[in-house]
Amino acid sequence: MANQAQSPATTRDLVVRVRDLHVYFFTDLGVSRALNGVSLDIPAGKVTGVVGESGCGKSVTALSIMRLVPHPGRITKGEILLYREREKQNGHSIVEEVNLTDLDPQGPVIRSIRGAELAMIFQEPMTSLNPSYTIGDQIMEAILLHQKCTRKEAEERAVDILARAGMPNPKTVVRRYPHELSGGMRQRAMIAMALSCTPSVLFADEPTTALDVTTEAQILDLMRELQAAMGMAIVFITHNLGVVAQMCDTVAVMYLGRIVEQAPVEPLFYEPQHPYTRALLRSIPHVGSRTKARLEPIRGVVPDPYATIQGCPFHPRCDYRKPGVCDVRVPATVEVGESHTVRCFLYTEQGEDNG
Amino acid sequence: MARYILRRSGYMFVTMIFVAVIGFLIIELPPGSYLEFEIARLRQLGGDMAPEQIRALEIRYGVHDPIYLKFWKWFSGFVRGDFGRSFEHRLPVSELLWQRLGFTVLISVLTMIFSWVVSIIVGVYSATHRYTIPDYAITVLQFIGLSVPNFLLALVLMVFAQQVLGMEVGGLFSGAYRNAPWSLAKFIDLLKHLWIPILVIGASGTAWLSRVMRGNLLDVLNMQYVQTARAKGLPERTVVWKHAVRNALHPLVMVLGMSLPGIISGETVVAIVLNMPTTGPLYFRALLQQDMYLAVTFLMFLAVLLLIGNLFADILLAWLDPRIRFE
Repeated sequence: MANQAQSPATTRDLVVRVRDLHVYFFTDLGVSRALNGVSLDIPAGKVTGVVGESGCGKSVTALSIMRLVPHPGRITKGEILLYREREKQNGHSIVEEVNLTDLDPQGPVIRSIRGAELAMIFQEPMTSLNPSYTIGDQIMEAILLHQKCTRKEAEERAVDILARAGMPNPKTVVRRYPHELSGGMRQRAMIAMALSCTPSVLFADEPTTALDVTTEAQILDLMRELQAAMGMAIVFITHNLGVVAQMCDTVAVMYLGRIVEQAPVEPLFYEPQHPYTRALLRSIPHVGSRTKARLEPIRGVVPDPYATIQGCPFHPRCDYRKPGVCDVRVPATVEVGESHTVRCFLYTEQGEDNG
Repeated sequence: MARYILRRSGYMFVTMIFVAVIGFLIIELPPGSYLEFEIARLRQLGGDMAPEQIRALEIRYGVHDPIYLKFWKWFSGFVRGDFGRSFEHRLPVSELLWQRLGFTVLISVLTMIFSWVVSIIVGVYSATHRYTIPDYAITVLQFIGLSVPNFLLALVLMVFAQQVLGMEVGGLFSGAYRNAPWSLAKFIDLLKHLWIPILVIGASGTAWLSRVMRGNLLDVLNMQYVQTARAKGLPERTVVWKHAVRNALHPLVMVLGMSLPGIISGETVVAIVLNMPTTGPLYFRALLQQDMYLAVTFLMFLAVLLLIGNLFADILLAWLDPRIRFE
């Protein structure tokens, strides 16, 4: 793991560093532990995939970094650091470290970061845009908020960014309402809106799940293209491993509010270390496998988030579990290869007690 | 848009004819009317003038004509602005009506504005502060507002105004101004009296509308586009008022169309209790006394207000929501 820069750096390798993040939801039914110590580095200008089953905390991780965790959720422990490039008066830029966990989630500092440094697109393009305002209005709103310009300039920028997002007839689309566009077009409009202020990180929370495969392929191409052109980091949240293989530079695998394995995309697919990752990879169909062969699902179901599991959260479903070890303590994160970390007692003796 | 309004006006005219026919028939159905009473009275009086007068009345209102002729005599007059006579009050209906309609419309419009402003503000506050102590307090007040009959509220407020504020209650003016010509002092006096009827008539509607507003806004606040707005970095105030409230207003606007005549007929009991110079008590009495031309004219005006209210609500809704088409 990279050491934290002590002196003001001029460039940044990381844009966001998440350390031991705990997010709990205090509901009437009890405390739901959504995140139990997530540590994640988001490298600048790379695509990081976050995969896992539904309810494992992928979206909550992104929302926590945006400081948009909905009520009654709260960050109870851990820190989120943002490395923000700031232009100095002499023309040099320095990297400023902002601890997002210290900020008031509705305060002016985080609002100047949201939309400008950190942007997000969501799963449902049909409902992500406000039905009462035109596409242009909604994109211009973000531009006018974060950049000094007139309405006319903002509209020009909106047209421009829509064109870059592959929107046909961007000049007429700015005057259109969301219901006049198809799902794919709306997702392009969302992407344009998110990228309108050239953010350093774009969180894409299952951006193609609600789209048909052809549109999905187009949107994925577009995102890769824009990422290469604009150089922002993308955090790609998905449960589709095929999309991960196609899109990502590094991958983090989540299970029950923890990252259990993180690696560059190739080692993750070819040498998965964590039993959960292996099981996940075995559960997807392969081209060329015997036609009669059954898919191999992962045994059991994701436990209810209100329950606390003693030991490694995956041990009840794990084929390699070691009684007396896995059901007692939580394994520590260890490095098993270059930038390849895993949290499993198969690779370490070290662990920590459940908090 | 203009074509839409024109077409709707056409429908409104047709609806009005139906209302006229049905309203007239129903009022005509029970035996006896104030007109017959009036004729009997004239006959009893005797004298030289009486038979002439009776004949004139019989011809004018078609007492012996079949019902469709009777209807036509009334309706053709109505369209020309001759609403007939009130036999009880011995005045043309139009005179009675215009005298009182002004105050009724004034009170209705003010009540509507009052309940809209209050219910939007209260609804937004309690939705954004859900499950806090102020929200619970508002909820209790809302249920009280909904369940207390408004004549009772009128009585309570009258006692309060008299005992605590030392006001002269009842009516819309103090005794000194009741028959005085209009002046600034009279206007101020009117304002001093207006708040009681507005509060009383608006209470249950406000309680209900703010409840509806709260529920809607809670739904809208869970929508993805509200999260999108937050993710842009907008201040929470803008997120709520610009992105959420606008999309939560639909049911309120739809209710608007219905509430216009509701306020006018709903104020009747309150107007009687508060002794106000509005149309409600007059309409009520006209129905009891079978003073049919007065009653049917009121009915027509209520129907017109309902239709206009609906049209207005539809236009407002179309302005509010771009997805609505004029088809």
